[in-house]
Amino acid sequence: MSEREAFITNTKCECGHQNPVGTVLCEACGKPLGKESDWGENLEMRYDGVARRSQRVNPSIIDRVWNFFSSVKIAIYLIVLTLLGSMLGTIFPQESTFLNIDASSYYKQEYGTAGDIYYKLGLSHTYESWWFVTLLVMIGASLVICSLDRVLPLYKALTRQKIRKHRQFLTRQKAVLVTEVQEEPEAWVARVVQPMRKKGYRVKTDGGALLAEKHRFSRWGPYVIHIGLIIFLLAVLARGLPGLNMDQHLAFPQGEITQIPDTTYYLKNEKFTVEFYTDEEMPEEFRGKKILPKLFQTKAVLYKCTADCADPTKEPQLTEATTHNIQVNSPLDYKGLKAYQFDYDLTPVLRSVQPVLKNSTTGESYGKFKLDMKNPQRTITAGPYTMTLKEKYMDFGLNEDGQPISKSPYPNAPAFLFLIQGPNLPAEGQQYFYFPKQVDKSQFQQVAINDKLGGSNRFLELEVDNMSDVDFSESTTYLNIRIDRAMPFVWLGAAIVMLGLILGFYWQHRRIWLTVINGELILGGHTNKNWFGFRREIVFILEKVDMVVDEKSIDNGGGLT
Amino acid sequence: MGKARKPIQIVILFLIVLVGGYAIGSSVFGGSGKPEEGSKAPAIDLLGLDGLGHTLDEYKGKAIVLNFWGSWCTPCVKEMPALQAQWEKWKDKDVVVIGINVGEDQMTVENFVKQVNIDFPILMDTGRDAVRNYGISPLPTTFFINAKGKIDSIHIGQLDLDSLDDQIGKLVD
Amino acid sequence: MSLLDISSAVFIAAFLLYSGSFMLFTIAIMGRKWSGRKPEEHTARWGKIAFIVSSIGLIFHLIYFFTRWFGAGHIPVSNMYEFMTFLSMMVMVAFTVMYAIYRKVILGLFAVPISIIVMAYAAVFPQEVQPLIPSLQSNYLKIHVTLAALGESFFAVGFAAGLMYLLRTVNFSSKEKADRKQQRLIEFTLFSIIVIIGFLGSVFAFRGAGYETVFVRPNVTIDSAGQENSTIEKVSYRMPPIVAPHNSEIESFQSFLGMKEPLFEAPSWMNGVNAGRKFNTVIWSILSGLLLYGILRLIVRKPLGAAIHPVMEGIDEGDLDEITYRAIAIGFPIFTLGALIFAMIWAQIAWGRFWGWDPKEVWALVTWLFYSAYLHLRLARGWQGRKSAWLAVLGFLVVMFTLVGVNLVIAGLHSYAGTD
Repeated sequence: MSEREAFITNTKCECGHQNPVGTVLCEACGKPLGKESDWGENLEMRYDGVARRSQRVNPSIIDRVWNFFSSVKIAIYLIVLTLLGSMLGTIFPQESTFLNIDASSYYKQEYGTAGDIYYKLGLSHTYESWWFVTLLVMIGASLVICSLDRVLPLYKALTRQKIRKHRQFLTRQKAVLVTEVQEEPEAWVARVVQPMRKKGYRVKTDGGALLAEKHRFSRWGPYVIHIGLIIFLLAVLARGLPGLNMDQHLAFPQGEITQIPDTTYYLKNEKFTVEFYTDEEMPEEFRGKKILPKLFQTKAVLYKCTADCADPTKEPQLTEATTHNIQVNSPLDYKGLKAYQFDYDLTPVLRSVQPVLKNSTTGESYGKFKLDMKNPQRTITAGPYTMTLKEKYMDFGLNEDGQPISKSPYPNAPAFLFLIQGPNLPAEGQQYFYFPKQVDKSQFQQVAINDKLGGSNRFLELEVDNMSDVDFSESTTYLNIRIDRAMPFVWLGAAIVMLGLILGFYWQHRRIWLTVINGELILGGHTNKNWFGFRREIVFILEKVDMVVDEKSIDNGGGLT
Repeated sequence: MGKARKPIQIVILFLIVLVGGYAIGSSVFGGSGKPEEGSKAPAIDLLGLDGLGHTLDEYKGKAIVLNFWGSWCTPCVKEMPALQAQWEKWKDKDVVVIGINVGEDQMTVENFVKQVNIDFPILMDTGRDAVRNYGISPLPTTFFINAKGKIDSIHIGQLDLDSLDDQIGKLVD
Repeated sequence: MSLLDISSAVFIAAFLLYSGSFMLFTIAIMGRKWSGRKPEEHTARWGKIAFIVSSIGLIFHLIYFFTRWFGAGHIPVSNMYEFMTFLSMMVMVAFTVMYAIYRKVILGLFAVPISIIVMAYAAVFPQEVQPLIPSLQSNYLKIHVTLAALGESFFAVGFAAGLMYLLRTVNFSSKEKADRKQQRLIEFTLFSIIVIIGFLGSVFAFRGAGYETVFVRPNVTIDSAGQENSTIEKVSYRMPPIVAPHNSEIESFQSFLGMKEPLFEAPSWMNGVNAGRKFNTVIWSILSGLLLYGILRLIVRKPLGAAIHPVMEGIDEGDLDEITYRAIAIGFPIFTLGALIFAMIWAQIAWGRFWGWDPKEVWALVTWLFYSAYLHLRLARGWQGRKSAWLAVLGFLVVMFTLVGVNLVIAGLHSYAGTD
């Protein structure tokens, strides 16, 4: 179709049917409308020879763009480019695999010049780069336009099939049989209908001519695949729309209710458990050497805030929404909000202690009180004594000037400075430094500090009597909180793709035309795939009417697809 | 069918350009979700030391120097006197210095404020909400926000005390 | 005898049966000219016997699979050893299906060795039953891995048929430029297969001899609190160290052929002790491959492709082309379902995101795109015959890289975590 056609083209076939411009095989009788020089070659059966939208003279810019995306050649180039681009993204770890790096220096540092070039070319975030997304958009365009361009003509062609076809149409198919038949045409045709029907064909006869067809639905396979892919891609794109997604990794210390930011939900990690495989359960090789986790789960309770949610001055009111034991393959799922088990930390975090104010000389105790690490009480009464909390440090240390400071906001080494006032103490009060953790007491020499502060005659001490007076969070679980409202459409797209693949590849569309005329049987067959099996089937059918044919003899040069 | 061909083609191509443009656009301009220089300063709703909730709207029309800090962070501590000095200098010129404490409790913040002797507004971000919205990673981080509510510049790390004055001056202009 | 003991024994039996079947297929094809009977009858007869033997082998293989399943308490596809043994089983399944459809004896000659090589490769990895870590405790382990392996197995049979097509149709006696190029490409393909066999040979030879050399390497990392932590990394080389890990020291050295120390050190960009070990293994594979190739060349006195070409005489090339395409056409939907769709579903349930662009996932996509291109080229652009055969061969290379290369090269060079 590359040369200019005559000013007025004649596309009327000798059978009387008027075909649209661009038709390759007459829509009615199948006679080839091409040049005389094409004689002898197998017919171009794509779309049954019907004119397609993109074959027009004098294409406008719209046509040109349309034709570009309609081309299978272009589509293949796009697939290959996407393939190659994807490969490039696996050479070095992508930026998205790290939580917190400075990309502009990281790649150069770790991988030298190669890494630097990688970063500069944008390959460190290949899959979010503009050219990769452009490729995907173009594939999407190709999917839409390729399919539209082909499915309508194909549908037209397949639904308007005539039974009686031109002789050339039959003899230039890729599966052909021309042989002698002595019977009356109609009688012979009537006989062959039965075995064909048995093989699942829909048979239509017209005197001595016959059209048998089966599994037409398989032709729609590729278009179903393409529709599925389009839905899939659109759903993936929709995931990025604001409000339809969320992705956070959060820590939930055991026993605490933690808010899920940007939502009105709160999650409580009631208990986190981890079990390891016992020695007996491990194979000999690894016994004692390797520790494998068997199970880790978070017993979680999800709460919804029903009042006072946004006010920072008030405590939010919560009601329970749902509970779930979150494990790696079993996330919590509540109205689209999902919590996945991501990681865990077994380091205990101190929450509060309940020390007793004691008289170390007499042994008298003046009262127990609760000392929270976070937001502790500022004044405490213990018996006749009043303790005022003057300073507190979450992570005690000394800076370069020897001054006490807190090294971090986490209660790793908590310390408290109290001013105690009461009987037998100086009027301005006595200072007392307290480390709740034993290890800090010895490391920082609490006794020596207090001797300095209170003098050697001091007699008050804070002590924790037993472990039940110590409250700590035994572990912290890390959950991945996600909302992904577009997911159902992702799965829908994927399912449709699978349907199309199965329809298209595990069945084939087969058609057999035959005419018995003048003592001759002319048979032509067409299938979109699996000519091997098709020829076998034709032989099988013909055997049933006492005609023995060799498989290979039917092969008219098309055999390879 | 024939007459409808062209319009259908145009519609389809237009839709593809629309959807495709959105896809490519969001990958190019999507950014990391963190506010950058030139973008609008994210909203804040936090408790102040006065026990009341505060938002940035209170300071509409004024330039804001938003400093994220923690009492354990040595450079944060070091730059406090300079911030206080700037606050005193510029507060009548429609500039407000706000300090946002990251994740510490009331007592720690109060003691610290008394110790370093600062009186510019202090807000407490115990839930790390503002930290998340502003994409803060290391401390200290300071945002210079102009009177229209747009982020003029972001400074990560200890403030350059010499240029701090000029930086605020630029903000006001 | 416990179930696991039975399982191991039966596995060895399957291996022997497959090897026997391969020899019978060889007799069926090669012995055509020498037996007294007509070639077609000879091939048909011996082919039938060979196929029966391979089918019995497959039954034993299935017994291995199920006894191991019950003995271990979980489906045996959870580590490299189990997966590879499963893959080899699926290759035999795909072969059996294609043979049942097309009845081409010569397919056995090329497809059965693939399964044998994969089985041998499996034996490189630790065999013990390891209990499942929580992330693998899911029904999706069963569906995703099994279907992916089945799909890939059909691609493997397609590869075998494609290779056969090339060996059949390339003109080995021609000196034309185009033909020479084809000859060289085929030779390179065959050489690559020999390198794999060389790899297997080296591993088992040195393992049988009990070879071991140990390297240590200090490793300084900076943890999240900014603290420096120094650890000692240790790696055990099971082959003589031609190349030592970068920046390492010898802890114990076993001499080989008079070699008292490593010949050179790995470049600095090969981070970690395991990278050095893998590089060493690659070097040994290439060396033993070269040695094996050299010996074979000496024996046959001509390029291997030219030596095999006469074996293919009389085989219909159209059929070979058809088998190549059909195998891929059957495998593609299965691969899509297993390696992509169920993988996405499982990832969503386990990790909360159905696609993360990590190397394993990306390469599965690359494989899918490649075979999609193959099918488009074949069905819509008329690429048949030789072009299609080369694509089938190349496609399998992509599959192998996804299964083996990603772990070896991508994870290995850049991180210390991962498989052995």
